[in-house]
Order: sequence, then structure tokens, then C-alpha cells
Amino acid sequence: MRSKPIVMLTLAVLALGLVGPTAIAQDAQTLTVSIWGFNLDVLEENVFAPFEEMHNVEIVLDTGNNSDRLARLQAEGENSSIDVVHFATQFTYIADQAGLLQPYDADSLENLDELYDWAQDPLGNQAGVGYTVNSLSLIYRSDLIEAEVTSWADLLRDDVAGFVSIPEMSTTFGPAALIMIDRALAMQALEEGEELGDINYDADLAWEALPQLADNLVTTYIRSSELTTLVQEEEVRVAPYASFAIGNLINTGHDLTTVVPAEGAVGQTNMISITAATDKVDLAHAYIDWFISHDVQEAEALDLIDSPVNATVELPEDICALLTCGEILDTMTVLDQAEVSDRLEDWLERWNEVMVR
Amino acid sequence: MLVSPAFIFVLVFFVLPLIFLLSQSVLPEDGGFTLSGYVDFFQSRVSRIVYLRTLKLGLIVTGICLAMAYPAAFVLARMPARRRSFLMSLVILPLMTNAVARTFAWLIILGRRGMVNQTLLSLDLVENPVRFIFTETAIVLGLTQLFLPLMVLPLVSAMENIPDDVLEAARSLGANRLTTFLRIVVPLSSDGLVLGATLVFTGSVTAFVTPAILGGSRLLLMSTLLRQKAVILFDQHAAAVVAVVMILTTLAVNLLLRLGRVRQA
Repeated sequence: MRSKPIVMLTLAVLALGLVGPTAIAQDAQTLTVSIWGFNLDVLEENVFAPFEEMHNVEIVLDTGNNSDRLARLQAEGENSSIDVVHFATQFTYIADQAGLLQPYDADSLENLDELYDWAQDPLGNQAGVGYTVNSLSLIYRSDLIEAEVTSWADLLRDDVAGFVSIPEMSTTFGPAALIMIDRALAMQALEEGEELGDINYDADLAWEALPQLADNLVTTYIRSSELTTLVQEEEVRVAPYASFAIGNLINTGHDLTTVVPAEGAVGQTNMISITAATDKVDLAHAYIDWFISHDVQEAEALDLIDSPVNATVELPEDICALLTCGEILDTMTVLDQAEVSDRLEDWLERWNEVMVR
Repeated sequence: MLVSPAFIFVLVFFVLPLIFLLSQSVLPEDGGFTLSGYVDFFQSRVSRIVYLRTLKLGLIVTGICLAMAYPAAFVLARMPARRRSFLMSLVILPLMTNAVARTFAWLIILGRRGMVNQTLLSLDLVENPVRFIFTETAIVLGLTQLFLPLMVLPLVSAMENIPDDVLEAARSLGANRLTTFLRIVVPLSSDGLVLGATLVFTGSVTAFVTPAILGGSRLLLMSTLLRQKAVILFDQHAAAVVAVVMILTTLAVNLLLRLGRVRQA
């Protein structure tokens, strides 16, 4: 009776011995990509499958939201199996500060020069390349709000009180919304002939106005799906919205008007970076270069997955209208993530102070 | 020997993580032992407001669940077995539905276009829709629905063990229904009460989805504050402090309930 487990164990060890080298050989031909779990079927067709064929590699995916994947990367440290990571800029910055990324080599990215300037090196230290952009602008119920909404400062108007929602400070677009409100208030305060200066990352005017804005709020939102529900249930009539949520907002069936405010929209890139732990640096560069190439950027845009950052991509008007592209880019502000992230802890505390009243 | 697997499981998956959490709250990465995290927490006005609000909502939900569950459990415990079994399955039905779906249903019921507002408007009781959601009342409603079964189940279980003879004896000695309930049923079901109240209170102060959806992001509670510290600021030290404060609070309430029961006994 006792011999049976021993035989099984021996077989298992032998099996491992046989499989081991093969597994290691296979591992040498894999590239582990950390990415969100959305639209993977489209990404497979546009990005992963062609790349696997071109480079004779297998792409292994690690999926999850920004914070979960960053936590995994942090926990695994030098032993991480992740080679390439997709993050929103805010999380790329945190990963970079924690020493989890290595700088890319611009000479190894043939397509880099084709990107808009703000996408080539969003953090300014080659910690990653922007491969898509989302924008934050305003949307409102034009059937219920009589006076047109044209500015970020309109969120403070009395006639919209009780029907405003903005992104929570802890979200990617939270600080951005506050900075744009500050910019709008600064524009209002200009004397005749004066010109608006650079972005004030301290956002003093917006902080002063925050209690007034808080009185206008129904609630803040963390996910775009929450905003969609709020609009659907007629709790919200005006709000900043992320460009990728437009489809769901339109589907609510309400009379909604989108506005690029007079002060411009604010843009936020998603980035691809090479992890510090990987030794597949050449393959990682090839992956990034492929992702920012004209063909991939165009295919992703035509499938309404990612707004292109490759300036050579030209899209039909109807597609462009649903993405962050075209005229909106002319006035779009892309924030310096280091300036934002360095203030975030203090801002969250101040934000909570106002919101818990 | 038979208890070993369970003991090891509890040790590895409950006790050790708790010790790790506690150590994280007093041993930050950049220094030795410190209680500064706790000092900072209780010195912060925001943290104090959030803590007291969480405590208040937890106690209100527990009180409401108790008030609703006691009579229901009393009736259920005295029912014929088949009928009781059917009604008990109805009681636990909410536990079998997804928390997010269940909470979104409240959003639709209580929203401006929801059933409640439509009724109020059609009866001309209000001129404009009333805002119910994103208030503490909405959170209390959602949590009460969520945790009521956790109060009913242990109470029914405790009351099933009260012999009918005892109740009849009390009545025959002149006790009215209320006196019988307060002086016989409540003390004899105190085990269920302590268990139910602990489960409901712990569930209420640690719930995340329901307060986040029905209260909105502005009504910060301990669970949403913990999220901010852990996944936005990646401040594991501060997050561990919030978590330990939550754990100690639930333990303290459990202890108080047990002490109350001992005195009553």
C-alpha cells in the first residue's frame, strides 16, 4: 500500500525533470505584459498576435487595475516576471519613484519621433512612452440647463447647484479637474490686456472655491461607470467626463452636450514602460515600438479602443469625434505628473477636510 | 490531532496576517518602533470625523437590525419546522445576491426617478424629487438590508433552544408578554444576540461597496479611507493603522456585548 505514493512521487519528479528544461526554454521566448483586462480580444488581434508572429515569442498577460498590478510589481521587486507594464501616468510615476522601471533607449524606438511631443516622454526621464491619450472635458444636460456651459468655472454656477459631479481627488483625473477649474478662475480674474500664464500647480484659486464647489456637488465619482449611472438617474446634469466614457454616456438616451471648455480639455496619457527586473530589454523595446507604430495606433483607433498619439495617423471624422483627436488636441493641456503626484498626499488631506464637512 | 488542520489554517490565514498588519502599523519602513501613525490618526480632524461617523452608522444599523430581527426570530423559532425552513430561506435570500447588484437596486429605488420619488410625486406629497441617495440614511438602509439576515439567523438558533415550558411557566406566574420577552426570552437568547450584533456591527463598519455606492465618495467611512491610504497613496503604514483601529473597535464592541451578557446572566 505504501509503495503507491512513492511510485507516484517518483513519476512526478521524473515528469518535472522532463518538463523542466522545455519550460525554461519556453520562458526564454515569452514576454510578460502587465495590462488592464479590457478589450483583450481586440488587442490580441491588433497587437499581440502580429507581434508574436513577427518576433517568434509568446505574450503572457498579467491583467488587473493600476493599483493591483503596481502592488504586485512592488511585492515581487527584482524577482518580478513582468517585462513590460502599461500604467496610467500617475502609476508610472509611482513605479518609477520606487525604482521598478528602467529608462527606455530612444535609439531603439524607431517610431518614437512620430509621436506627439507630449507622448514621447511624459515623465521627462524616459521612464515610459505615452501610447494613448484620454481627455477630460465637460458634458451637460442641455435640455435642463438653460445657459450654455462653456468653462470649467461653470461648475460653480448657482443654476447647476445640487446637480454637479466631479472626479474624486484620489482618481487619475481628480487633480486635473481641480487644476483646470483653477485655470478658469485665473482667466476670469485677468485684467484687460493681461494674458494667462503657465499652469499654477498649487491651484490656489480652486482650493479657495472648493467649499463653494462642494456645495454644488451631488457626489464625487471614482469610476466613469458611476458617472454614467448618475446621469442615467438624472442625479447629475453637468460634470467633467473622461473621453473613453462617451459611448456609455450617450447610451443613457438623455439630451447631452459635450463641451471643450474655453480653457481647453486636459489630457492624460497611458504609458508603456520596461520593468527594472526584466532582462528582455530588446524584446521590450520592440514591443513598445510596435505599439506606437502607425499600423497599431490606427487599428486601435479604428476599433475605438485607444486614441492615437502617433501624429501620422489620420482618422475618418466620425471615428475622430468619438476619440481624443483632431481639434481638441490644439488646446489640450497635458499636466506634469511629477508636479501633481508630489502634491497628492497633501491635496487628499485638504480635499477630505472640505468634503467631510 | 483532529484540530490541527483547523488550528494551522487559522494560524496561517488569520493570526499571522493580523500580526503582520499590527507590526506594519508600528514599524514603518524607514524607522523603528513608533506609535506616531496612531497619534497622527487621532490628531487628524478628518480621521476623527470619519471614525465617529463609521462607529455611529455601525451602531445604528446594529440597533435597527436588532429591533427588526428579535420579533421576527421569536415568531420564526416557534413555527412548525417546514414553514420555518421556507421562511428562513427567504430571510437568507439577500445574502445570495451580489452585493453590487443589490446596492445598485437601492440606487434605482431611491433615485430621483426611482420608485419612492415617483410615489411621493404622484401623491402630491412633494413638489420636486427628494434626494435620498448619497446620504447617511441611504447607507443605513443598504447596510440594514445587507446584514439583517446575519442577526436573524443566530437569534432563531438561540431561541429554538428555549423550551416552551419556560415561557408557559412565566405566563402562568403572571408575567405578561412583554415581561416574558424581556426577562425570559432576551436573557436566554443572549448568545445569539451577541453573535448577531457582533456580525452586523463588524460587517457594517468594514463594508465598502454599499457605503461607496449609496453614500458616494463624499461620505468617507473607515473602509473608504483605508482604500485611499492603501491603493492611492500606497502608504501601507497609514493603511495598517486604519485597519488596526477598525479591528480593535470591532473587538471592543464584541467585548462590551459579552460583558453585558455576563452581567445579565
